[in-house]
Amino acid sequence: MKKRIYLWVPSENVHKPIISNAILNTKININILKAKIEPQEAFLILELNGDEDKVNEAIEYLSKYGEIEEISKVIKRDEEKCVDCGACITMCPVEAIKMDDDFSVVFDENECIGCKSCVKVCPFKAIEVDDI
Amino acid sequence: MKTIKEINEKIRSGDVVVVTAEEMIGIVEDVGPEKAAEEVDVVTTGTFGAMCSSGVFLNFGHADPPIKMLKIYLNGVECYGGLAAVDTYIGATQPNSDPDIDIDYGGAHVIEDLVAGKEVELVAEGYTTDCYPRKKVRTTITLDDINQAILVNPRNSYQTYNAATNSRDEKIYTYMGTLLPEFGNVNYSGAGQLNPLQNDYNRKTKTYNTIGIGTRIFLGGGIGYIIGEGTQHNPDNAFGTLMVKGDLKQMDRKYLRAATIPNYGSTLFVGVGVPIPVLNAEVAKCCAIRDRDIEVPIIDYGVPRRDRPVVARTNYEELRKGKITIEVEIDGKKVEKTIKTSSVSSYKMSREIAKELKDWILKGEFFLTERVDVLGKGSAKPMKSDVKLVGEILSKPPIVAPIGITIEEASRILIKNNINHLPIVDEFGRLVGIITSWDIARAIAQNKKSIEEIMTRNVITTTVNEPVDVVARKMDKYNISGVPVVDKENKVVGMVTSEDLSKLVGYTNKW
Ligand code: SF4
Ligand code: SF4
Repeated sequence: MKKRIYLWVPSENVHKPIISNAILNTKININILKAKIEPQEAFLILELNGDEDKVNEAIEYLSKYGEIEEISKVIKRDEEKCVDCGACITMCPVEAIKMDDDFSVVFDENECIGCKSCVKVCPFKAIEVDDI
Repeated sequence: MKTIKEINEKIRSGDVVVVTAEEMIGIVEDVGPEKAAEEVDVVTTGTFGAMCSSGVFLNFGHADPPIKMLKIYLNGVECYGGLAAVDTYIGATQPNSDPDIDIDYGGAHVIEDLVAGKEVELVAEGYTTDCYPRKKVRTTITLDDINQAILVNPRNSYQTYNAATNSRDEKIYTYMGTLLPEFGNVNYSGAGQLNPLQNDYNRKTKTYNTIGIGTRIFLGGGIGYIIGEGTQHNPDNAFGTLMVKGDLKQMDRKYLRAATIPNYGSTLFVGVGVPIPVLNAEVAKCCAIRDRDIEVPIIDYGVPRRDRPVVARTNYEELRKGKITIEVEIDGKKVEKTIKTSSVSSYKMSREIAKELKDWILKGEFFLTERVDVLGKGSAKPMKSDVKLVGEILSKPPIVAPIGITIEEASRILIKNNINHLPIVDEFGRLVGIITSWDIARAIAQNKKSIEEIMTRNVITTTVNEPVDVVARKMDKYNISGVPVVDKENKVVGMVTSEDLSKLVGYTNKW
């Protein structure tokens, strides 16, 4: 399974290698989608890949060092505005957008990493991505 | 042989057989064109994409006291003021006159707002005459308040359209959408096997079987008419276009949508559907055209010239697969590359339009017309205009310096030659960096010692074959005042500066 989380790490833990430890301890696959480290706090967006137990284990581990919030949905498409042209498809770096057999453009919310490349090219401003 | 009159009789009596152009493919394959022509009466087509050449004629009626409008704005978008006192034409691609609004709200958006029944602000100024004493008018109107609102597209419904890719090492924004660097994507447009002109095209005679002046069509969700061939109509190359008109008051926002092509401008997506009466086997055969039969050239939009190079030739079937493998040239080397493809028009909507038109005919709400004349031959030749190339404005041999030079030596060269830019080259004369007088001033202030520390390595360059307009745009875009001219081996052959260009502009701008 794949789960995306926000992680806030307070200053006292910023210098600890918590991500590496989470990987080492739980053997989970972690993808860092965003990381902003400041003196008072670090803010990260992580994508955890692995079986459910491992993912939960990792979340439990990480929550000892910071605050966690799960990200459920990043991308929103306004079905009214979208004309199913497909201009957004090639812009997506993770192939979260596809055209199905009916020529409808479909978004896979689970794959989207919130990069906003698609938002910028849509001629109808039909896509909104939650700021992460 | 069937006649349109007979087909209309069948529509009236409810016996008509209508299929979409997609359905017709299978029918002709199964039973052959003769039998298909007997069985099917009408084939419906559809297309839905950006049609920049769209606009609406509006008549506002007279104000009291009357005004002869000259400068006319609808929601801040300027409309054409050279018509009669209270008539205007608003074009889809007209940008907003308020620079703060950017390109996000243009003529197309005003048109969509009118169709959506929204209130639109009308501001107009005129010059006074004895019968038109009023100078200014400001009011809000809706589509209902306007006498006539007639969509007239001088050119739409292209039979085929080029696919676009980009050889440059930077992203570019075109009317074909955003094109990624180094052939990162291919964008294409068009309904292919559902396209009206494509289905009516006789490949032998290079003419259209049934479409002509007076053909009644589906236009933006209402009823419209073909009033002639469109501008740049080019049937000899299967690049025909249509000029159409229709009553905006009948139209539906679903089939008439304002769009903004990023960093390019506003445009209107228009839905067009044309019925093709299947009069004989020849017509039936043409309607069976498939995506794979329609050749589409892939053009390099990275070359900002009129005659852009054709990178490869493909067809709609290949393009719709989402990926295409072609041979491209990167850094002088030919490589096979698999490139993702994106449509910038909607095949799904094209299908819906063909289906909607089919339903209208089946319900007896839409009758076919006989054309009163065929489409004209058209012409799509380029503009007669001069192009000035960088090579033509280069005279002096280039002043360059080797990489080992000191900062003092570099500044002496700048002063002696009264120049501001000094390209730095390696032992073979190949460009490796550039120094400006500003870099030297900064080097002194920051106590830097070597040229390598202060030179700009990522140099924007040009070639002798690039038009000066392109160089001028580069300078503007990157906020620089000088561009080295290099040859194929990256050797410096000259330098173009903003002074060179402003001299040129001062010289040629005669109006
Ligand atoms: S935001 Fe980025 S990752 Fe998500 S769908 Fe758009 S292009 Fe793909
Ligand atoms: S570019 Fe916009 S309109 Fe086109 S398919 Fe994507 S979301 Fe829909």
